[in-house]
Amino acid sequence: MTALLSIRDLTVSYRGDGREVPALRGVSLEIEAGERLAIIGESGSGKSTLALAIAGLLARGARIGGAIEWAMPNLQMPHSFAPPSVLPDISPTRGEISSSVAGTSFSTSMIGESGNEKAISPLVGEMSGRTEGGAVERRPLHLGSAVPRLGRDIGFVFQDPSSSLDPVMPVGKQIAEVALTHLGLSWPQAYAHAKTLLERVRLPDPDASMRAYPHQLSGGQKQRVAIAAAIAAGPKLLIADEATSALDTIVQAEIVSLIRRLVAEDGMTLLFISHDIALAAELAERIAVFRYGELLELGTTAQIVNAPRHAYTRALLDAHLGLDAGPLRQAGAPA
Amino acid sequence: MSLLAVSGLTKRYRRGGGTVAAVDGVAFAIEPGETLALAGPSGSGKSTIARLVLRLTEPDAGTIQFEGADFRSLGGSALRARRARLQMVFQDPLAAFNPRATVARVLDDPLRIHGIASRTERPRRIAALLERVGLGADLAPRAIHEISGGQRQRVAIARAIATKPSLIVLDEAVSALDVSVRGRILDLLLDLQATERIAYLFISHDLGVVRAVAHRLVILDAGRVAESGDARAVIGNPQSAIGRALVAAAPRLNRTTAP
Amino acid sequence: MSRLHRFLRSPEAIAGTAILALLFAMALTAPLLFPGDPQAIAGPALLPPFQDWSLPLGTDRLGRDVLAELFHGARTSLAVGLSAAGAALLIGAVVGTLAGFAGGLIDEVLMRITDAFQTVPGFLLALAFVSIVGPSLGVVVAAIALGAWTGPARVARAEVLSIRERDYVAGARVIGMHPLEIAFREVLPNALPPVLALSSVIVAAAILTEAALSFLGLGDPNRVTWGAMIAEGRAVLRTTPFLSIIPGIALVLTVLGVYLAGEGVVETTAVRRSLS
Repeated sequence: MTALLSIRDLTVSYRGDGREVPALRGVSLEIEAGERLAIIGESGSGKSTLALAIAGLLARGARIGGAIEWAMPNLQMPHSFAPPSVLPDISPTRGEISSSVAGTSFSTSMIGESGNEKAISPLVGEMSGRTEGGAVERRPLHLGSAVPRLGRDIGFVFQDPSSSLDPVMPVGKQIAEVALTHLGLSWPQAYAHAKTLLERVRLPDPDASMRAYPHQLSGGQKQRVAIAAAIAAGPKLLIADEATSALDTIVQAEIVSLIRRLVAEDGMTLLFISHDIALAAELAERIAVFRYGELLELGTTAQIVNAPRHAYTRALLDAHLGLDAGPLRQAGAPA
Repeated sequence: MSLLAVSGLTKRYRRGGGTVAAVDGVAFAIEPGETLALAGPSGSGKSTIARLVLRLTEPDAGTIQFEGADFRSLGGSALRARRARLQMVFQDPLAAFNPRATVARVLDDPLRIHGIASRTERPRRIAALLERVGLGADLAPRAIHEISGGQRQRVAIARAIATKPSLIVLDEAVSALDVSVRGRILDLLLDLQATERIAYLFISHDLGVVRAVAHRLVILDAGRVAESGDARAVIGNPQSAIGRALVAAAPRLNRTTAP
Repeated sequence: MSRLHRFLRSPEAIAGTAILALLFAMALTAPLLFPGDPQAIAGPALLPPFQDWSLPLGTDRLGRDVLAELFHGARTSLAVGLSAAGAALLIGAVVGTLAGFAGGLIDEVLMRITDAFQTVPGFLLALAFVSIVGPSLGVVVAAIALGAWTGPARVARAEVLSIRERDYVAGARVIGMHPLEIAFREVLPNALPPVLALSSVIVAAAILTEAALSFLGLGDPNRVTWGAMIAEGRAVLRTTPFLSIIPGIALVLTVLGVYLAGEGVVETTAVRRSLS
């Protein structure tokens, strides 16, 4: 397997009320091309920050250090990229430009950040993904054409599909716009492409759904539309950030199997961010366990589930209440 | 006699031209000290039932017998007084408290409203409540938004038990918590049930959690009862289509080594 | 970063605050710098400004000290502006909260009354009220508040309608809290921020309305007001325009200061809200 991207010593911190709150501390990780990698952790683990950093969606005011190196065959202009403004106190590691694979160009997005005032504070506490959320101001991290573009090279599915869909535009048009922007199609072609996509995500009656507005769809259907929009331009990498956390168990299982099928059909790499280790284990080939902004353990799913090395991973596994788990107490008639 | 007996509970909402029944002739009963779980997919009406039972929303039809009295016929001050016995814990503990509140104020309110303790006695009662749910008394002056999600949910439980209720409705009360916190909150709930003999109406979409804490289970689908019975029996061998779908959809950890 | 810090970063807020600080200083020091009756004759009539340094802004037709009048007029403008706006916000918040929280018939009745008040221009309402009851400071304040409470009422009601569906209101009902306590202790304080955002506009409008009433001779006759000063100067507008221009500038600066400072506060809190 070859690496699609390698993250080296990635550090992200947010500023809130004059304090610097670290969200990721020196994370190094390689994502293999074509794999399904799950990032799991509880709230405050930095798992969503990692997803946003890879997609270039970190909020303004985040301080970033380290490097994210991409190896995408279809990227133009293979050269190192330096941002226009780098604070003197941050010296991002220079990304060495190597070409380990013939025909593959590496590009590194060097990341430096001006301390913008509009900081957002990360959600610290014990709440997990289910009720987190709320759109924050997003700012592209990777600039220029040498780095992958969100929408074209990276598809991103958020937890709350309502916040990523335009409430006053029919969903067919929204998907077609992605295709129009990134694939250089004509409008009729893009529209036809959108309909194919709605069929692929198994939306009932694609013709009618094309004209539907988001509020006319259920939560699960909206998430299917969001997935269709995310894969509209044929991205190499699909990032699903707690994409099923707001859905009930049945719809969650459907969306997970949809993601599995689409990733297999299109040969995409999947980054699946979740707080649910059992769900991650059902979908992913490898699991990375995060806590307090650090990568604790990375291994194949079987290894993480059956032979966890870290005590925290073991605790997460034990805390899972499955249909096969032991009871918290003896069930039966109350005394 | 059952602690809570609900029958023919119906709530319709107007949608488009016609009406849609969110809850349609639902019946169930809870015995003292028992945990009854309501499970079902979203839109099955489980949260609406919670609001109807608590009379936060008025049902269109049906009877609610609570502690031997007709709960629906109560109004005004009689209803407010009886609420001491029937409490609720919400899913999102941040949304469930006034954003300006402190921990002390949140716990002071029920003690004051129901005349449980005098003004001078209340701080001591608040400290005792905090200790009962595993929190330090030093948390009292803190603002609700300053404490962690798990601590907030403990405060919510402390508020619910302040008036010594016989029944607490837990509406997805552990769904928003991290798994490591969830286990400890469930332990607390079970401990309270064992010592105070509180019954729970446990609303959850997660059959794994239901199986761990509930005695009996009612599975809902589109506002109606699909099946009900002993929680482990229903989950082990679901009879209804929706029951089978819920069981099939639950994520499984196929661990080969014993935990 | 603290709220104050962010507030002081905006140039509008600094300018507004500076103007208001000057105005408050004028109002507070008026009895110390100009003891005695500002309406007493201090020198020759129609003395132009910057001629006699004991009367720096000159005198009016009756020989009254314009600077003393300006200082004492600031007291009236601020007192009337702030108390009328305060009364309007209080009435509006209470009516809006009751209407939004109670719903049904109470909501219907209260909002129709609000409609009725809103259809009559505020100034006409004030004019009619003062003409009937008679001019005094309290009546002028009441008259202005009468035309200004409908805006806050509508904003408060809209906010309350959204807040009353929140979990914590349901939580308050579950613990048996009385509806009035829920409305005024749980809901109203959280509905206030957007209502208070209206305050700068209302204070500015109240100061202008007071000036207009005084200009028409419907202000408190025992107090110096800028409106009355402008009216007084109108008779000699061609020969000595400064008599109208000086209080006019004071009025413009005051309204500008209130507005800029208000904007600064709104912007600061809006940033804070979007962050949380």
